[in-house]
Amino acid sequence: MSTEQNPKPFHFPPHHSFPPFFTLQPTSSTRASQLSSWSALILSYCAHHRLFSLRFPSALALPLFCNEGLGRRLRAGDVKAVLAWMGSAEGGGRVEWVDGGGKKGVGTGTGEGEILGEEGLTGRCWVFWRRAEEWAAVVEEWVERTGQKGVVLTLYEIGEGEGTAGEEFHGMDGELLRRVLGVVVKRGRAQVFGEGDGLGVKFF
Amino acid sequence: MGNSGSSNKVSAQDKAILDMKNQRDKLHQYQKRITVITNRETEVARECLRKGDKSKALLALRRKKYQESLLAKTDAQLAQLEILTADVEFALVQKDVLFGLKQGTAVLKEIHREMGGLEAVEKLMEENEEALAYQREISETLAGKMSNQDEDEVEDELDALEREVTDVNVTMPDVPTAELPLAEDLNRQKDRAKRRRERDEALVAA
Repeated sequence: MSTEQNPKPFHFPPHHSFPPFFTLQPTSSTRASQLSSWSALILSYCAHHRLFSLRFPSALALPLFCNEGLGRRLRAGDVKAVLAWMGSAEGGGRVEWVDGGGKKGVGTGTGEGEILGEEGLTGRCWVFWRRAEEWAAVVEEWVERTGQKGVVLTLYEIGEGEGTAGEEFHGMDGELLRRVLGVVVKRGRAQVFGEGDGLGVKFF
Repeated sequence: MGNSGSSNKVSAQDKAILDMKNQRDKLHQYQKRITVITNRETEVARECLRKGDKSKALLALRRKKYQESLLAKTDAQLAQLEILTADVEFALVQKDVLFGLKQGTAVLKEIHREMGGLEAVEKLMEENEEALAYQREISETLAGKMSNQDEDEVEDELDALEREVTDVNVTMPDVPTAELPLAEDLNRQKDRAKRRRERDEALVAA
């Protein structure tokens, strides 16, 4: 899922070219504003490239975390801190680790000069540039607009089918899609049925 | 809203449709795979040719040809599957339409039953006609018993009311003299008496 699908280049904000931005500052007020800037940047970057999740350590090499021109990169420990903040209530619960990965070893000391992976930043995390509830609304809107209420749809069809090619949720990870549909089911607006890979959904 | 979800249960037909659609998805994936393979075989053939290995290139192209024939076959299967799915879905729609028609007809019949059939309506209309005629007679009888003076007074009142209604929002200037309207009234009374006489004569003639 870490393939970049948007051909247009992402315009980084000016602070992405500001060297101190790549080092988390110890002063709490500076750190807070830095964390929220990083959070906003990660969300808009993932939204632009339609990345639903980030896989570490490979994601550390994305231009998001390292500015080649500047010769700076956000170290794995700091990335972990930013993601942890984004996953907290304060950060709006925008990040969630898959299978509890990345949890262990949070807050370990950062080794000088070491950059990739060696700090225990492995695993995959969801990046909710739209929350599951928001995705649910998007999918429901699509079903409504295309007159597919009461029609049996396969999950593959929603995520990968030709019919959703232009939609925002096209290419969405199956696991995330199941979660999004879970929200709709909970609202009593759809039912998921079938088993294994051949899951289907019917919207009411 | 909470409990209404149970009425939207997934039916056996839905499950069958899902099976068909899953099958279709699998074919789609299969086609994707084959397309990748054929592209790769072309690459392989090109590579072999560059190296001068003609027989190997030929083999790759043969494999590619075979995969392409598979692709064409799956295309036909896919079309069949899609037609079947569409037919099933359309049949379900038809079923719904039929159900709607059935409901509508039942309601219409029920209403007709409550109305008591065509005969009852005809009878009612007849009775209605009679009642109307009777009412007309009564009115005529009543009207005949009124004296001319009564009629005059009634009509004067009507005129007065009419004036009131039409002039209700207009502030009129004070009436300058009292004589003119009196003479007018007299004239009007005479006129009306004449008209009534004519009408009575006409009635008698009829």
